[in-house]
Amino acid sequence: MGRLTVTILLITIPLFSADVNIYERNCVKCHEKLPVSLDKFFFNYLLKYSSERQVKQALRKYLKHPKRKSSLATEEIILRYGLMPKSTLSDAELREAIEIYWEKYKVFGKIE
Amino acid sequence: MSVSNVTATSINRSERITLLRFIGLYSFLVLMILILGSTIYFKLQKDLMLQTKRLELEEYSKELIDGLKLLHIYFDRYRTYPRNSLYRSAIYDADHVQIFSTLKHPEGVKLDKVIYTTDGVIQYIHVLDSYYLGTKYTVVEIDDDGKWFQDTWRNILLYGGVLLFIFMAAGVVLMRLFLSPMREAIHLLDRFIKDTTHELNTPVSAILSNIEMIDPKSLDPKTAKKIRRIEIGARTISTIYQDLTYLVLDHQILSENRQIDLSSLLKERIEYFRILSESKKLTFETDIQPEVKLYIDQNKMARLIDNLLSNAIKYNRRGGTIYVTLRPGEMVVKDTGIGMDEKETKEVFERYKRFENGVGGFGIGLSIVAMIANEYNLDVEIRSKKGHGSEVFVRWGV
Ligand code: HEC
Repeated sequence: MGRLTVTILLITIPLFSADVNIYERNCVKCHEKLPVSLDKFFFNYLLKYSSERQVKQALRKYLKHPKRKSSLATEEIILRYGLMPKSTLSDAELREAIEIYWEKYKVFGKIE
Repeated sequence: MSVSNVTATSINRSERITLLRFIGLYSFLVLMILILGSTIYFKLQKDLMLQTKRLELEEYSKELIDGLKLLHIYFDRYRTYPRNSLYRSAIYDADHVQIFSTLKHPEGVKLDKVIYTTDGVIQYIHVLDSYYLGTKYTVVEIDDDGKWFQDTWRNILLYGGVLLFIFMAAGVVLMRLFLSPMREAIHLLDRFIKDTTHELNTPVSAILSNIEMIDPKSLDPKTAKKIRRIEIGARTISTIYQDLTYLVLDHQILSENRQIDLSSLLKERIEYFRILSESKKLTFETDIQPEVKLYIDQNKMARLIDNLLSNAIKYNRRGGTIYVTLRPGEMVVKDTGIGMDEKETKEVFERYKRFENGVGGFGIGLSIVAMIANEYNLDVEIRSKKGHGSEVFVRWGV
């Protein structure tokens, strides 16, 4: 599994042009293979952490150190796909990716 | 006016003042108690109203949360906020940031409270366990119809008024109860003073008129001297009698004001006092302009003059002088007596203005002067120098 990810990363990175952002490049690329979409994960975080600040903080913490105990994903997913690997992104990149992730799924201004 | 009537009014007046003071203090305390009671009652009524509304608002809140839950699950497809015409609502995240609101008064929201009124609305806050769409707090708002407010105020005014009345009535009864022994004592004293005053008149007049009838030439010098002393004594008693009459009776009887010849009145009074001044070997220096008129009650003006002269005699030194000056608009009585220093003068004058009795050095006389001057808007000024004597100016507009 780990090797697969690394290989994909190595293959995919040069293929992307500059306008595709770090979130698309990193998170989406890998998550595409999972049956649970990233927006479901997002709403789980929202359900548990409520505010922008706390959601982002929790995401940062999880992505840096994924732990069974702090995971919000179901047993099933973890059993099948294992824990999400520790992110290889730098702090700044991670921040940026999370920012994009938040902007993409946040509910502010979307409720009618 | 009969004597007993006068007695009754004079007692009633001082009693009324005491009564008013007591009622003032008492009503202040009663009002404080009533205000405190009303505040507590108001708060209780408000809490009661909120408790009743709370059940309704909790229902609305549950409904809202159910709506949010669905919205959370199907947010990728469906994004309409759960609305209801019965209430307005808002949702806030854990950092108190508003996520969405249909509130009329979002600025009044207090997320740390449960239920409260603000600006004509009632708001109810519910804290969620699962933060659907990130919602930690739901706020549900309905209009406050204000009926409880009006009812509460009506009750406060109604029962407050009744209680106030009862308290006040009780206060008056209590006061009369406590006051009655004092009242009786004052009545007795008052009656005694009045009766005595009345009975003084006949003997004093008898003595004075009989002395006048004695021809001094028919007496040997020694007896004549004794008779003169008796006359001085009788006249002194007579002035005291006049003052007393003024204090207990006269000043309550309507004044007979008319244009009087102040010059002759003043001369007449000086003549009357001359005999009293002889015992102290005092001399009168007068400068009285004739035909000075003043619109006043003759008896009262005589009282005022008598008191000034009698003070000038009383507090003069042996062999001193009394200067009396009269001009239109001004009368001055000056003595060469003990005088007073600045502090004493100030004190006397302050007390004079307050109609206090027993002023050091000036006795009750100055109170009478003050009462009369006050009634006729006469301006009184006292100038004094320790060891040199005092000077009293009485001025009026011409
Ligand atoms: C190498 C593949 C891979 C990459 C890259 C990746 N993820 Fe994941 N991610 C997973 C897998 C596998 C899981 C499911 C297991 C789990 O929950 O830990 C997961 C789970 C998650 C979860 C659920 C966490 C939880 O509490 O269980 C979130 C949120 C998430 N990813 C966000 C991201 C974001 C944001 C990025 C980009 C910065 C990212 N992921 C990059 C593989 C990846």
